[in-house]
Amino acid sequence: MDPQLTEVGQLFERFKAAFVRKDFDTCTNLLSQLKVLLTKFRSLPPLFESTPNAVNELLLAREIYEHAVVLSVKIEDQDAFERDFFQLKPYYTDAGSRLPPSQQEYLILGLNLLRLLVQNRIAEFHTELELLSATALENPCIKHAVELEQSFMEGAYNRVLSARQTAPHETYVYFMDLLAKTVRDEIAGCSEKAYDYLSINDARQMLLFPSDQELLEYVKEEHPEWEVKNGSVFFQKAKESTPCKEIPSLQLINQTLSYARELERIV
Amino acid sequence: MTQDVEMKEQPAPSNSVTVSPPSTLHHLKEIASLIETGAYDREARRILRAIRLTMALRRKLKASVLSSFLTFALTPGSEALTRLSSYLPKEDEHEMEVDTATSAAQPPAKHSLPELEIYCYLLVLIFLIDQKKYDEAKACSSASIARLKNLNRRTLDVLAARLYFYYSLCYELTGNLAEIRSNLLALHRIATLRHDELGQETLLNLLLRNYLHYNLYDQAEKLRSKAPRFEAHSNQQFCRYLFYLGKIRTIQLEYTDAKECLLQAARKAPVAALGFRVQCNKWAVIVRLLLGEIPERTVFMQKGMEKALRPYFELTNAVRIGDLELFRSVAEKFSSTFSSDRTNNLIVRLRHNVIRTGLRNISISYSRISLADVAKKLRLDTVADAESIVAKAIRDGAIDATLDHSNGCMLSKETGDIYSTTEPQMAFNSRIAFCLNMHNEAVRALRFPPNSHKEKESAEKRRERQQQEQELAKHIAEEDDDDF
Repeated sequence: MDPQLTEVGQLFERFKAAFVRKDFDTCTNLLSQLKVLLTKFRSLPPLFESTPNAVNELLLAREIYEHAVVLSVKIEDQDAFERDFFQLKPYYTDAGSRLPPSQQEYLILGLNLLRLLVQNRIAEFHTELELLSATALENPCIKHAVELEQSFMEGAYNRVLSARQTAPHETYVYFMDLLAKTVRDEIAGCSEKAYDYLSINDARQMLLFPSDQELLEYVKEEHPEWEVKNGSVFFQKAKESTPCKEIPSLQLINQTLSYARELERIV
Repeated sequence: MTQDVEMKEQPAPSNSVTVSPPSTLHHLKEIASLIETGAYDREARRILRAIRLTMALRRKLKASVLSSFLTFALTPGSEALTRLSSYLPKEDEHEMEVDTATSAAQPPAKHSLPELEIYCYLLVLIFLIDQKKYDEAKACSSASIARLKNLNRRTLDVLAARLYFYYSLCYELTGNLAEIRSNLLALHRIATLRHDELGQETLLNLLLRNYLHYNLYDQAEKLRSKAPRFEAHSNQQFCRYLFYLGKIRTIQLEYTDAKECLLQAARKAPVAALGFRVQCNKWAVIVRLLLGEIPERTVFMQKGMEKALRPYFELTNAVRIGDLELFRSVAEKFSSTFSSDRTNNLIVRLRHNVIRTGLRNISISYSRISLADVAKKLRLDTVADAESIVAKAIRDGAIDATLDHSNGCMLSKETGDIYSTTEPQMAFNSRIAFCLNMHNEAVRALRFPPNSHKEKESAEKRRERQQQEQELAKHIAEEDDDDF
């Protein structure tokens, strides 16, 4: 057995032990050491040299990065998540044909989808989605994220919130909580346009606040333009597009002049 | 997908489809001389013409004709000749005799022009692909690419671009496109360094195709946005570029841009490229639906496309009515078509539009309707769902209405008089701008012969003059030789 590989393996065991103990500080320290050690393997991306131990090294590295992704969720660090995920991705795509499939793969891909959703990066969400096969889309972890996106786009926010209970894995809960915050802002934005007024009770339920007090605080901070009186919240309606009373002369002159110029060129 | 490419390569009927008498070999020789003059005069347009003529001959190519052409065009005993002839299958002798007889009649000239050599590669490659001998084609194309890397002549660009295309095509046909990706990237780099714009254009498209084949939209977009852009040299390549760009934009939810690209690609594509236009139309239909537009019936009734666009027609119908149940059944019924077109994920996105259209219909028909009824009409599970969906539709401006939470109903607003706003003015303006732009682009696309305004020299005279110059040059060269 290659001494380097054994060294990394032992360190990783310590990492896993700390991970189980939920000693995340030690985990982070060990992880950075592990990452440095991994750079010495020439079989890993981007070199992909076929050394005798290539498969073992790739497998070990993949597992380390998988743990890194989950760890980043636990310590609630989204940037670390993104970094680790991108380091992990080549193991699924480029080295996928040489390695046995990972149990964690769909879980992590689903987490990534959820992250993109929370950060409202819908374009990237769909780009990632295109990479998944039909079987992957059937996986509960992926399906969960896809359905969330759909409900989110439709505006069925209560479905988004109730999805928290059906989260396929404990790590999903962190992102679901973040999503709840986004959803609240969305609901507030929609209500503002859709309703003339709401009773405080209804508004509280709709915006998912446990008490009136918190609702009032939220209104004060996020939407100072809302008016609270007589036990109701009144939304200031954005001014309707009034029929134009005067002719937008300057714009018309500009347009007509440009037509004249173009016509001149043609004739 | 491969089909559409094949279609596009068939040129519009060109003048060479004359009555058969002169043999294919004879035609090939004419083309060879065209390439020669093109190479000497440094006129890429002649070589382009040669390729067009070749495409017309494509169906008539036979192994025997090819091998005698190879012996005619290439220096005997050269490496290229032996290599290329090895790809051709041996055929019966009697057919050979006819051709050798004709070729023997002419004195074998000494040709060692790289253009001719590359042309021979191209010819053999096309022949192999047509004969479905993909493994030989792969070997042949790789050999030609290796040879091309060592040649740096601008007159080769046109031929090289074609070779790149077939190179990628035969790897695609055998299903291992990923293998040549790094090679294509290297070629693109070389083409950029040599200012070979046609090559860059072709290779960029091939790379995009390569990435999109594996759904790598992210990489495709990154390459596309960083690759140098310039005026398109070839209409076909530009069409393809627009199509790929349209696909990328669709996936990234930039529907307005995507629609423009896809429609333009469909319009610019040559009439013969039916498969390509069908693909463009399919994507364009979906993008327009996603934008909330309903494509006209004429889109689906275009000649030769009715059958291919049928699933999309039914889909459009479902979206137009706003019936979720119908939408679901259509999506299921044609799911195999949609997954082979790789539009499945886009169709999933459409669900939201179906609900919107249904909601819009309701809001137009009723001035006041309870949310429970809305949920029932749209076949949504709960009233709470309906309420938040309606709220979002109102915020996004899809419908003009207000909600009354305490009574649980939706109140539609009177539709205002659109003619009292600046809306018609704006629509009118955008149409005029479109027409003017179209005219300007048409003018820009016109091609003028070089220096036509300076000298009124006729084509014949010029050719004469050039011939004289060449002869003079030859004389001088010979005299130089004599001196030693």
